[in-house]
Amino acid sequence: MPHAPIHVIGGGLAGSEAAWQIARVGVPVVLHEMRPHRQTEAHQTGGLAELVCSNSFRSDDAATNAVGLLHEEMRRSGSLIMAAGDRHKLPAGGALAVDRDGFSDEVTQQLESHPLVTLARGEIAGLPPPEWDSVIVATGPLTSPALSAAIGGLTGETELAFFDAIARSCTWRQSTRASPGASRATISRDPRGAAPTTSTAP
Amino acid sequence: MSREDYERFLDALLAADKTSFKQWEASTPYFDGCLPIEVMGERGRDTLRFGPMKPVGLSNPHRPGERPHAVVQLRQDNALGTLWNMVGFQTKLKHGEQVRIFRMIPGLENAEFARLGGLHRNTFLNSPRLLDGELRLKAEPRLRFAGQITGCEGYVESAAIGLLAGRAAAAECLGQAWVPPPPTTAFGALLGHITGGHIAAESEGGARSFQPMNVNFGLFPPIEEPVRDAAGNRIKGKERGAARKRALTARALADLDGWLASPHRVAAE
Repeated sequence: MPHAPIHVIGGGLAGSEAAWQIARVGVPVVLHEMRPHRQTEAHQTGGLAELVCSNSFRSDDAATNAVGLLHEEMRRSGSLIMAAGDRHKLPAGGALAVDRDGFSDEVTQQLESHPLVTLARGEIAGLPPPEWDSVIVATGPLTSPALSAAIGGLTGETELAFFDAIARSCTWRQSTRASPGASRATISRDPRGAAPTTSTAP
Repeated sequence: MSREDYERFLDALLAADKTSFKQWEASTPYFDGCLPIEVMGERGRDTLRFGPMKPVGLSNPHRPGERPHAVVQLRQDNALGTLWNMVGFQTKLKHGEQVRIFRMIPGLENAEFARLGGLHRNTFLNSPRLLDGELRLKAEPRLRFAGQITGCEGYVESAAIGLLAGRAAAAECLGQAWVPPPPTTAFGALLGHITGGHIAAESEGGARSFQPMNVNFGLFPPIEEPVRDAAGNRIKGKERGAARKRALTARALADLDGWLASPHRVAAE
């Protein structure tokens, strides 16, 4: 192998896509994911790219919507996240909603089976070892205090580097296990009216 | 929901037991698109009816002609159709209270709740100051950052920044110069917001003013608004906004294709 691997810390959406983009141009990559050994308060599985909030990627309209445009730019760039999202798409009007289990399984399987990707299960607590000369930190909004403190120490801006105190509070939404028939009866689309509003969904 | 259903639901919501904020969350302002329903309910008795429970464009097939007072939208959450998301229903209510109150919604009396709402903290870097144009930490360039920790907002945005960080890191490893995406693309607009586009205004709290953001047309360089359509007719009123967006996205995709084909980029596309 001519290259030392790039290390990606965190197997969420960003880390999974980063690892995929690295491997597809022939560079080896080690993807580090602490789950399921160490769970978070938000996650439920050990799968890569687990969606913890909504299951919507929002508007898929590339002509008049900025996030729809971003979808298209990613598709043209060989994105794994968009390919898996498209393959596990659910009916949601003009939005791209995905089956979260099918989506996560697909991302996990594609990365696990790629010959240049090594999936390493375990937490990287604190700064990555000095011998890793290229690292992508994609540890998300719940980055561990150890790593946060280490980075704060590096930047010399301990107080400024992480905005815990003024951070917004995100939520993940409820799912209901209701009978589909009953749910559909409650919500039905008026053929004359606009589609149900989904714009508040993240 | 009828008026009576809605009023009963709202009363229960307002009286419900909320979880208290952790010490570090006590001064946490809510992100705009993410307000808990009980907070919206406290702002006014009709706030929810103009927010996630807006009864627009819907009719009841069992009672045609009758307009609902408020609605709850369920969005299919898995391929089997056994899980449904309550759209816009983020909450900090205690879990037992969530079950009790949401079962007051007509049709959900017997629903099982597979995942209840909750809240978490968001940790993100002051990226415009700490990261360079390739998402490297200026203080230690072997470290790149990607995803929500960089201050982008949303699943797709996180993945997009991961895509860019991956490409930049791979190019570096292959000894190639990485050319960032043009600022006219959604990639470039988002990267610009994170790594330098944001102006820290003193009135917003100086260096701390950098806040996570979804991709939006406000991050793109302006474009001359089209005046006439393809047939040569003058574009009027409401159509002009849409025409501007179409011009922005057409420019973005043309520039993206140029960027993807550029020889300075990672080979083997």
